[in-house]
Amino acid sequence: MKISRLLLAVIVIGIFYSFFKIFFGIILKQPIPGSLFTMYMFFIIIGVLLVFSFTEQGAKELMSPIKDLLENPEKMMMRNVVFGIVTIFAGFITYQQVKPSFEAPLELRTIHPAPPSNISAYNKSYNLLTLENPFMKYKKEDPEKFKQLIYEGGEVYFKNCFYCHGDKLDGKGHYAHGFNPLPANFMDVGTIAQLQESYLFWRIATGGPGLPKEAAPWLSSMPVWQNFLSEEEIWKVILFLYDYTGYVPRSWEKH
Amino acid sequence: MRTFLKVVGFSFCVILFYALYASYGIPQVKPEAPPVEEKLNLGSMTMDQFIALGDKIFNGKGTCTLCHNPVGGRAPILDSVASMAMEHLKDPRYKGKAKTSEEYIKESMVIPSAFVVAGFGVKGTNDTESPMPNVTTGAIGLNEAEVDAVIAYLQKKAGQEVTVKIPTGAPAGKDEKAAETAPASPAKKPEELVAKLGCGVCHKIAGQPGVLGPDLTKIGAARKEDYIRRAVLDPDADIAKQCPTGPCLPGVMPKDYKDKMTAGEFEMLVKFMANSK
Amino acid sequence: MKFSKKITLTFFIILFLVLASPIILNITSKSSVFSLQPLSIVLAEEVKQDAAAAPAEETAVKEDKAKPAYPPAPKLKESDYPKVKGFNGRIVIWLAAQLHLWFAAFVLAVPIFVLIIEGIGVATKDERYDKMAYEFIKISLTAYSITAVFGGLLAFSLIVFYPDFLKYMANIFGSTMLAYAFLFFAESASLYIYYYGWNWLKHGFKKWVHLTIGLILNAVGTTLMFLANAWVTFMMSPGGVDAAGVFQGNDWAVIHNFLWNPINLHRFVANVAYGGSVVGAYAAYRFLSAQTRDEKAHYDWMGYTANFIAIAALLPLPFAGYWLTAEIYAYSQQMGITLMGGVFAWLFIIQAVLIGALFLSANYYLWCGMGRSEGAVRYNKYIKYIAFVIIACFLVWFTPHTLVMTQAELKALGGPYHKYLGPLGIMPAKNTAVNIMILFTFLSFLLYRRANKVATVSWAKYGNIAQTAIFAGAIINIVFLGVYYGYFTNTVLKVGSSVPQVASTLSVIIFCIIIDVLMFKGAKDVAPLKWGNVPDRSQYALFLLAVSFTWLMGLMGYIRSGIRQHWHVYAIMRDNSADAFTPTIGYSAQIVSIGVIIFMAIVIFIFWLNQISSKKA
Repeated sequence: MKISRLLLAVIVIGIFYSFFKIFFGIILKQPIPGSLFTMYMFFIIIGVLLVFSFTEQGAKELMSPIKDLLENPEKMMMRNVVFGIVTIFAGFITYQQVKPSFEAPLELRTIHPAPPSNISAYNKSYNLLTLENPFMKYKKEDPEKFKQLIYEGGEVYFKNCFYCHGDKLDGKGHYAHGFNPLPANFMDVGTIAQLQESYLFWRIATGGPGLPKEAAPWLSSMPVWQNFLSEEEIWKVILFLYDYTGYVPRSWEKH
Repeated sequence: MRTFLKVVGFSFCVILFYALYASYGIPQVKPEAPPVEEKLNLGSMTMDQFIALGDKIFNGKGTCTLCHNPVGGRAPILDSVASMAMEHLKDPRYKGKAKTSEEYIKESMVIPSAFVVAGFGVKGTNDTESPMPNVTTGAIGLNEAEVDAVIAYLQKKAGQEVTVKIPTGAPAGKDEKAAETAPASPAKKPEELVAKLGCGVCHKIAGQPGVLGPDLTKIGAARKEDYIRRAVLDPDADIAKQCPTGPCLPGVMPKDYKDKMTAGEFEMLVKFMANSK
Repeated sequence: MKFSKKITLTFFIILFLVLASPIILNITSKSSVFSLQPLSIVLAEEVKQDAAAAPAEETAVKEDKAKPAYPPAPKLKESDYPKVKGFNGRIVIWLAAQLHLWFAAFVLAVPIFVLIIEGIGVATKDERYDKMAYEFIKISLTAYSITAVFGGLLAFSLIVFYPDFLKYMANIFGSTMLAYAFLFFAESASLYIYYYGWNWLKHGFKKWVHLTIGLILNAVGTTLMFLANAWVTFMMSPGGVDAAGVFQGNDWAVIHNFLWNPINLHRFVANVAYGGSVVGAYAAYRFLSAQTRDEKAHYDWMGYTANFIAIAALLPLPFAGYWLTAEIYAYSQQMGITLMGGVFAWLFIIQAVLIGALFLSANYYLWCGMGRSEGAVRYNKYIKYIAFVIIACFLVWFTPHTLVMTQAELKALGGPYHKYLGPLGIMPAKNTAVNIMILFTFLSFLLYRRANKVATVSWAKYGNIAQTAIFAGAIINIVFLGVYYGYFTNTVLKVGSSVPQVASTLSVIIFCIIIDVLMFKGAKDVAPLKWGNVPDRSQYALFLLAVSFTWLMGLMGYIRSGIRQHWHVYAIMRDNSADAFTPTIGYSAQIVSIGVIIFMAIVIFIFWLNQISSKKA
């Protein structure tokens, strides 16, 4: 029996649907969040419809079962049943959407908020646009000293930071599981590898409370390190972070 | 006509889809409101902003941290002044009229000698006279609203209830504006310059009564121009032995005077001091 | 005879390149006389440079006196912004500026490709091209007056709602504003001669005069746009003023500010794509309402050409946009992160959806177009694979780095990042996806080109192999670069892969076109090509293209302007009006949508005007 084109389209969409569900949800154990999944499926459906309808004949075949169902007088019974099912289904969806739930509202947190142009820490004002790591110059000038500074930065890290950010800098420290959001994973390409050193200085020195509102400062448990560490220690620990992870701080060299 | 309606309908649906998607398909982040400038009129200020203004004055224009810092030991740390106030008021040495901590802080800023914390008085006066200038006059010249802002900041810092009311009258920073426009034209007389830089907060110079740093009224007799020049630009290069309140300490005098004058003004100041004999 | 024609044509093209692309010249020479700044500015600049050079050696005090006294940027209070009852100043300005921009983009773009089409008509001696070019310019003529109307509306509403801002800008840009006004006369004059003289200057030598007028028209139009861009980019990346906003007296420095060239390039390319898409919508409208076969065939062909122009300009657009973004980052990290990582990050998800819609509808149009000939059936089976790749790239492209998740989902993932999809959220993945998407769109086009033809050259087989090899090589290269640079190394710029990726994409396009042109020279047709033989659905794809383009422009225009946040002139002149706040995405999308509806209403009105004017009594 030759399957109709409409059924084929539905099957193809179903295959994609189950692929995403099974592959990400069961095999990789990392299900795709609903909001993203909806968009994925939306565009897959659009894509399938486009492919199935770009020839005149294909479009006709695709639509013919629907047209037939709607127009053929012999299929009145069938039509009524389908209309009934569609209506009930729509009602069900609406009900699901509006029924009260105990789900906490979606958290929307900007992970890398835009830094202010000026911050104040240590009773001083820093211009983040021009702020640079004072120790970076030793990288070329005095590699021995640079190494020593990184070593000292490591000490700062393991005395202060590693409880949360982990001994491998992967955000999996001892206390990490108690936090939501999780401590930053410095090994991830999306964190310090994307940022400038001045940005890190800002985040460390002013901690969670120093975040702008869009980044939900009340959620971050990062301490305000300017109360505990000296300015030099922060710069040193930044050196250590980049050295350990092997990333290079983002910078825009003058072209 | 059918085509026309179809096309219009189609376009409208597409636009509607985009608008709905942007409004409901993605999360709506409400961007932060623009940061408030301190020079806004006080009427629209929240208490937090008022306290922040106090913070800024305390660390900036008010020059309070010149002395009230943990380094110099010239003046008491004010972290808990608001909670200590009541104790000070009961002290037998207290000779002011304040009843509340708010009044006490205000009094201390305007009439500093009303109560001098033990060990911080002008040397030889047995802690009856304070070296601190009246902050509403002279080089600092805070206006009433600014004094209130500093009180609010200090109360907040001590973890006390902030009792100050945000004044609704004159806008804050009226004087600030005048101070801001001043540097545009270079000072013509040394006295003017000294007043502008606020040297008199610490030093006795050009008719200003500072009692914290070394007396500079006869500096020309002891020092040459080169020494003066260096002492202004790099204060810690040479430290005078004796200040009115005890031994002079490094790191107390600000190092940024070189950014605050033009070359001409600087030369004028050096000449003026070298000739003060 | 034919030879001399070719020489003349070459000369003409060179002339066009020299005059119509000040972009190239801007990059190579900063103060060249050729860079098409109005002469008055060049002179003024020289005079000022001379004036500035003299006192530089003298003392600081004297220098202050030698300079003309320009005021610093005013510090405004909320009461400085006039209020008109019943109107929100920002929305009025927003819509007026946006509508002006839409029409201006269209009006500036159309003459560019009209001139090219006219040139093709001269070269091929095909009367149809000339006719089509004439029809294009006719549409833009009505739009031209509407552009001016909205320009006037914008100027008036600025005077009404933001007088102090306009005053400050006029202090700095006085000379360029005057130059702009004068150039507008030149633009009008050349446009009217170009349009009304079309039939008069149709034959022989006169045609060359006509083409030259077209060239002048384009040069003036492009210069106009560049001048206006200077005002806009000055607001984002002010140059030539000090920290207090005091103008230093150098006109060229304020024009040639940090973001000027990136915006120039981006707008120039985008305008062409946009113009193409709007003309495509016009053709689609006429196609749908056509009564005869001939008419249908003509408008089908016109729609195809317009779509081709739009897509050809769309392909390099992501690269121009990329350059602009990189420069914004370079100018200010704060602005850069506001743009890409802060509150506006979600707008880029919408942008991704819209650009995806553009690519899909453009491809769909090409696929539908294969129905014009019986010969294309043999390629139909490949379409699904192309669609698969494009959709897959598209999904990668709009996967955000930060995912919106419910608490249950957060728990299931064990954190705010998705282990496998999260990495798709950063730039190398997106660059890779967009390059492949462009390549496969190009492949759709190649298939369409050869749909109806069979190559007759002896080396056709090798040609195909070569093309396949180039494609495969480039894709492997792009994926490798993306994965390698994105995940296994680190580079200082983190985007080190983008340049070689773009290079591979562009070289594929160039080499494949060359091979294709040579290979299908004198190829024989499989079946007759029947213009007009396309389903109506394809015409709606053209409409979708135009609407999406318009909406996208509105949105991105908002973002570009919005990243200044509460500044009139970034970090120099603060916006203290009640509307200084940055609105939410939904709010701005609604304003943009209202703008698009107004725009489309006027555009359809113009289409209708053209339809009745071409009706014979």
